[in-house]
Parts: sequence; structure tokens; C-alpha cells
Amino acid sequence: MRLSTSAIALVVGLLINHGALASELPQRWVSAGGALSEWVVALGGEPKLVGVDTTSQHPATLKTLPSIGYQRQLSAEGILSLRPQVLAGTEEMGPPPVLAQIRSAGVQVEMFSAQPDLQALKSNLEHLGILLGKAAEARALFGDYEQALQRQKNRLVKIQATRQAPGVLLLVGNAGGKPLVAGQDTAADWMLRQAGGHNLATHTGYKPFSAESLAGLSPQVLVFADRALTGEAARAALFKENPILASTPAAKQGRVLEVDPTLLVGGLGPRLPQNLEVLSAGFYPTSSEATP
Amino acid sequence: MTTLVKPRTLFIGLTLLCGLATWLSLALGPVSLPLWDTLRAALRLMGLPIDAYGLEQAELILGQIRLPRTLLGLAVGGVLALSGVAMQGLFRNPLADPGLVGVSSGAALGAAVAIVGSAFLGGLPDVFGPYVLSLCAFAGGLGVTALVYRLGRRDGQTHVATMLLAGIALTALSGSAVGLFTYLADDATLRTLTFWNLGSLNGASYSRLWPLLLVTAGVALWLPRRAKALNALLLGESEASHLGVDVEGLKRELVFCTALGVGAAVAAAGMIGFVGLVVPHLVRLLAGPDHRVLLPASVLAGASLLLCADLVARLALAPAELPIGIVTAFIGAPFFLYLLLRGRA
Repeated sequence: MRLSTSAIALVVGLLINHGALASELPQRWVSAGGALSEWVVALGGEPKLVGVDTTSQHPATLKTLPSIGYQRQLSAEGILSLRPQVLAGTEEMGPPPVLAQIRSAGVQVEMFSAQPDLQALKSNLEHLGILLGKAAEARALFGDYEQALQRQKNRLVKIQATRQAPGVLLLVGNAGGKPLVAGQDTAADWMLRQAGGHNLATHTGYKPFSAESLAGLSPQVLVFADRALTGEAARAALFKENPILASTPAAKQGRVLEVDPTLLVGGLGPRLPQNLEVLSAGFYPTSSEATP
Repeated sequence: MTTLVKPRTLFIGLTLLCGLATWLSLALGPVSLPLWDTLRAALRLMGLPIDAYGLEQAELILGQIRLPRTLLGLAVGGVLALSGVAMQGLFRNPLADPGLVGVSSGAALGAAVAIVGSAFLGGLPDVFGPYVLSLCAFAGGLGVTALVYRLGRRDGQTHVATMLLAGIALTALSGSAVGLFTYLADDATLRTLTFWNLGSLNGASYSRLWPLLLVTAGVALWLPRRAKALNALLLGESEASHLGVDVEGLKRELVFCTALGVGAAVAAAGMIGFVGLVVPHLVRLLAGPDHRVLLPASVLAGASLLLCADLVARLALAPAELPIGIVTAFIGAPFFLYLLLRGRA
């Protein structure tokens, strides 16, 4: 009798506990950081989002949510007016006094890493999985991601056994205007290397280029990321505004590729492996394409 | 001398305006609080025994977010306008603004050094970071102003014209140094720098508020004592000294008060343009050039203008926020033009 009562108590207790755990998960989220918001969505957290920052542009449905402004310049009261339970962001989020105010209002401020490396992504996803009650899915997502990057690496090793890495420049611009060249220690540089390109720029950070030095580098492939235009329009604008680019080997051979500039901010995002594959295909065209 | 309004009317009007702006700044925000709750929370913050039940949110928003922000706005607006009066009096030129003696550009340089430097060193601890920025901005402003003042002195006399030109030269120099830091900065640092240059009352906290409140109170109490001397200075330097004014001492005080006031304001809220230049004008258009009226009235007008601008800054795009530097000019400039043209007609 005693045993059965305690067994019942135990079962009931577990049930209640389980129910309590599910309902204790935060239901109202504000997310700051492009890649982070994408992962929240990938883990099925989109219905919980009540606001995002201006760097959260993907998927497009996020743009319909209230915008909390730029992630480094958040406003405490603005965010509190959305009545969130969680503010998720990266170390780029700030300013610190505002975060302190938000914390003191009882909002969970959850920090993630924006570093472009797999270890950071792993802990980010684990952390997100727990907060969203999707730990298993998060693990699975990371597994797939890791594999996709590994496949990419293997492909590269195979290709590079026979072919040399092309010299590449990545240009970040706005509607074709004076672009900045992505140098060392940037997310763009990391991406180029992962895709098997050799970044010709030797400076650090994003810097405007001088026409002369660019002509001397003679890149075989140009990659551009335009914040305002996409596709053919962006390419046309780029060459119109910067005629020197049209004389590079890359332009002459039509090897001009495009990446989405939102891939370059906020750490590793879910769309990266696929984009790396596309870039890689552009860097190492199959022989039929290489000789038109 | 005919003025648009009598000093008495002006003071009553400005006090009411400032009170209204203060109340609106406390009562309005992206979080909509019931008016009754705001009132009760405000009374509770003043120490009245009111039941706290159901007031937690209102008290938090009011006490931790809106009150420090409002106090910051009052202090920054007041001290910037006051420094504007001091500079226009010193240079006897209505185009003078606190930036002329290099305090703004010096502060910008200090901030750039702090922002880019701390990014270069791999970031400072969170508790420490904001203070470094404020201290560097303050030190930069004070340092460059001291240099401008030094350069303006010759044979124990301060030549205002030399000081003006030295100010322009050093502003250009600091500008190019800031440009160099901008070039060296990475993308993220650049953004921080840009936003700092546009100013904001966002994230005001008591710990950073007290130094500014002290400086503002000091300057606001001290400068009006020099109102008569400033009036005499309007006639010219030699005339003023014949009237018994210690002109050299006055110049030193004016420069020092400006450097201290603007330095502290910029350190607390970033660069906020326009207030220092235009508020003294507004008051002068309304009440004439008598510094006995101009000085205290400018404090009230500057504080009110900044609070109104801040209201727009935080409500226009809520839940996001506009930098206040954009708003001050946006609402201030058309109003100023209106007064200017009306005065001409």
C-alpha cells in the first residue's frame, strides 16, 4: 500500500514536473544577430520570436517582426515593451548598460558566440536547443552541419590535388559604389578559404582599395557581396562604378560570383555549407565550363 | 530695448515647458504604463508611503530607465546650452559654439582612441569598458581645450582671435586623427564610433550620471555670477576692462567652464550637436542679449529641447531607437528658421 502510494506520488510528481518543465520554457523571444536568428528559426522557434534586430534578415518573414534596431545600439525600454522572456544575442550585442537594465527587469539575457568556428557553433546550438526544448534536434542539426562542412573539405582536398587555388578578391559594396575589399581576419576571408579560394588581399579588415594595387593583383575570380542590389544588376553597377575591375582577368573571363552579404555577419549560419558549395563550384569550374 | 517677451514671462514659460518636458519624458516611452501607475510609482520613488503592490514594473521602468535618462537629458541639454552662451559671449560672435575651442573634437578623438584601442586590445571587461570611453572623451576634450587656450596666450594675454584660429587648426588635426582611427577600425568598431558621434541618452545609469550632474550644477551656479561681466564684454575687451572687469580672468573661467561642462556632457551622452549653437540664439531672439536673463533661460530651454528631442528619438521607431543627434537638428533647425524669418518680417 505504502509502496503503491509512493509509486503513484512519484508518477504524478514526474508528470507534473515534466509539464512544469515544458511550460517553464520561455515563450517570448527577442533575437539579435543574423545567424543566431536563423538558427532559432531552424530549430522551429520562429513562432516564439516577438522581435529581431536589423541584422536578422533571413528568412524574409523575420522582417515582418518589430525591429529593435541595430544590435549594438539597443534600447532597454523598447525591448521591454515587447514583453520578452528571453533576449538572445551575441557578444556584439550592447551597449552593456542597456543589457544590465534589461536583466534587472527580469528578462533572461542569453549570450551566444559570433565567432566563425565550429566549436562556438556547437555550444551555441546546444545552448539554443536547451532553451527551445529541442536539444535532440539541435544535436542533429549540428551533426548535419559538421558533415556538410567535412564533405566540402574532402571535395576540396581532392580538387586541390590536381588544381591550384585561384586568386580571389571579395568586394563588399553598396549598389556598386566604392567597394571595400575583404582582407585577412574577416568572416569573408574565412569563407573564401573554406571554399578553396586564395584571398589576394593581405591587409586586415575591410578596406577601400586603390585602383593601382588592384590592377597589380590580377584576381582570377571576383566575389562581390552587395548590400543593396543582387544578381546581374549588382554586377553591372559594380563594373560601371569601378571600371578598373572590368580589366581584371576575372572580369574578362566572366568569373564573377556573388554571395549574400548577410552571410558575413554574426558567425556561422545555417545557409553557409550550401553557399560554400556554390562558391567552390565557381572557383573550380568543371572542365567543360572552363574552356568555353 | 524691446524684446518679444518680458524676462518674467519667459522664465515662467520656460519653467512650465521644462516641467512639462520632464513629466512627458517620465510618462511616455515604448512601454505604455497607465498614467495612474506612473504617478504612484513617481510618488513612491520620492519616498511617499504608497503600497508597492502591482507597481513593480512601473517602478522599475521609471526608476531604472526613465528617471536616469531624464536627468541625463536635463543635465546635458542645460550644460550644452550654457556653454554655448559662454562661447558666444567670449568670442562676441553669435556663430560660436562649444566646438570652437576644440572640446568636442578633442572628446571625439578621446572616444576614438578608447573605442579603437579597446577593440585592438581585444576588448575590456564589460564593467570597465563604458567608463574608459567616458574618461577618454572627457580627458580628450579637456586636453585639446587646454592646448587651444595655451596657444591663444601671448605676453600674459589671451588673444581671442588667435585662440579661435588655434581651435580651428586643432579641430582639423583631431579630425584627421579620428579619420585615421576610422580607417584602422574594423567594421564593428566603425559602427560603434559612428553611433557615438550621433549621441544618445540610451542606457543612462546613475553611476555615470552623478559626475555630470555635479559638473552641470557647478557650471550652472557659477556662470550666472559672471552675467554682468559678460554684458560688459559685449562692448569690447578694453571697454570691459575699463568698466572694472577682470577680462583675463573671465576668459579663463569661460573656457574652463565650457571645457568642463561640454566634456562631461559628451562623455556621458556622446556628441550632441546643435543645442549649444542654437538654444542661446532662440533665447536671445525671445528675450534680448542680457546675460542675466540669457544664462539661466538657456539652461531651461536647452534642457527642454533635449528632452523633447529624446522623446522623439525613443518613440519614433519604437521598439528601436534613433540617435538623438539626428533629432535635435531635425526639430530644432526648422523652429529656429521660423523664429529667424518671423523676426525679420
